[in-house]
Amino acid sequence: MGNQQINNRSRCARIWDRHESSMVFLTLPCWIRSRGPDRYWKVQELLKHARHFRGRKNRCYSLAVRAVRRAFVYATRGRTLKKRNMRKLWITRIAAASREHGMTYPALIHNLIKSSVQLNRKVISQLAITEPRTFLSLTKLARARQQEGLQAALGDGKEPPGVFSRIVVKQ
Amino acid sequence: MSNFSRTAQQWASFARSWFLIDARMQPPGKIASMCSVRLQGKHKPIYHAISDLGDHVVVINSRHIAFSGNKWEQKVYSSHTGYPGGFKQVTAAQLHQKDPKAIVKLAVYGMLPKNLHRRTMMQRLHIFPDDELPEDILANLTEELQQPREIPRKLNEYTQEEKDAFPRVWTPPEDYLLK
Amino acid sequence: MTSRGTPSRFLRSVLQNGLARYVCQLKRVSIIFSKTNQGSLGARDFVEEGVVDYAKKNPGTVVYVSPQTSRIPKIVAEYLNGNTKEEIITNKSSQQISELLTKLTNQSGQDIIRIRNPQHTDNPSIQGQWHPFTNRPPCIGLIRPQKRLNQDQP
Repeated sequence: MGNQQINNRSRCARIWDRHESSMVFLTLPCWIRSRGPDRYWKVQELLKHARHFRGRKNRCYSLAVRAVRRAFVYATRGRTLKKRNMRKLWITRIAAASREHGMTYPALIHNLIKSSVQLNRKVISQLAITEPRTFLSLTKLARARQQEGLQAALGDGKEPPGVFSRIVVKQ
Repeated sequence: MSNFSRTAQQWASFARSWFLIDARMQPPGKIASMCSVRLQGKHKPIYHAISDLGDHVVVINSRHIAFSGNKWEQKVYSSHTGYPGGFKQVTAAQLHQKDPKAIVKLAVYGMLPKNLHRRTMMQRLHIFPDDELPEDILANLTEELQQPREIPRKLNEYTQEEKDAFPRVWTPPEDYLLK
Repeated sequence: MTSRGTPSRFLRSVLQNGLARYVCQLKRVSIIFSKTNQGSLGARDFVEEGVVDYAKKNPGTVVYVSPQTSRIPKIVAEYLNGNTKEEIITNKSSQQISELLTKLTNQSGQDIIRIRNPQHTDNPSIQGQWHPFTNRPPCIGLIRPQKRLNQDQP
């Protein structure tokens, strides 16, 4: 943090130099004594966050103060939304990749969990992009687990007494 | 080392495919949902909304689409010209009569996300009322998609043996008079 | 603090430093202190005790010891990429200054700003990155609209 403060201060000093190039600061105490009014520094502290804005918001305090406040509110909200959006993106990607291998996303994830594969969605989506063969084997694993589950649900091929099911008849 | 093959890798990953869909006897909504997924690039694991990954989709036989139910008469396409009294309403049958590509096009247009990329994606959709394709599009095609719905056979496509062997609900008696 | 308003960079090392060989990125360090000032007590201790050992241990780094009158004691570190860092060492003990100097020695000299992604690799893919033909059968042949036999115009 000490470094950053010093960096900030030197950045302010640069701004200061640009505005009032006639002033010279030979030593640190001199600079501290001769620096401008408090309001100037207050404005600079705020405009620092508004320099990349468009229009007069990046240089006029009264316009910038409102825009910076909005920006901070958006940033706060965005920190929550980012997690949600990233998860959405991973799910879209996994769904696309698994559809290539003839599986749906819910079936893939459910059966991977059932086979105790503890990869999260981020890693699975990265695997689908960078290591497609690994992802293919994951889908094969999930499909095998799906078939096993279906077989287990069917039992020994006979329906319980009093139940007539279409699946058993088909086989 | 890694910079060595980046360019080829990039071109391979972001290559555009051309898909062919035959819309004969298919519901337009199902055709449109298949198209919109491919146009957005949502069928690729590298999907990102702003990456412009969409593929080209060629829809043929859009003249022979099949609406279910009474949609040909009761489905209404509305538009407004902007002038007073300019509210236009046509049924699906009338619209299809006028432009055999319009129904599929409108269905896809409505399924795409409503943003600035929509017009770009629509430019990658090529609809043909019949199955005649120009040479340049034929040369680009990379994959044909399976039709979402199995085409039902018509009565004249069944042979006489199949007709005879078809199971009957009841056998009419000899002296039964058909109306 | 907005993400666009703050500077950021990706995780990287200087020319893959530390992979098979390590070059200390600290080029020059000067310890500035006062001979008489009370705040420079720890700095003077460090100059007496530790600075020679430090210089022997780090032959790649130039160490300047400069007593100056009525100065705030500080360490000015210059790195190979041209960056300069100043650390104020007023009222710090010899031990603290030694730790500080070790920290400065181990740093790469890059700006300490937000890092966008905590992971980085030069070779992201071993099996080859996904492309549209990865999971497609290799020999499909030409794609043509198939003519169905019984095409009755409705």
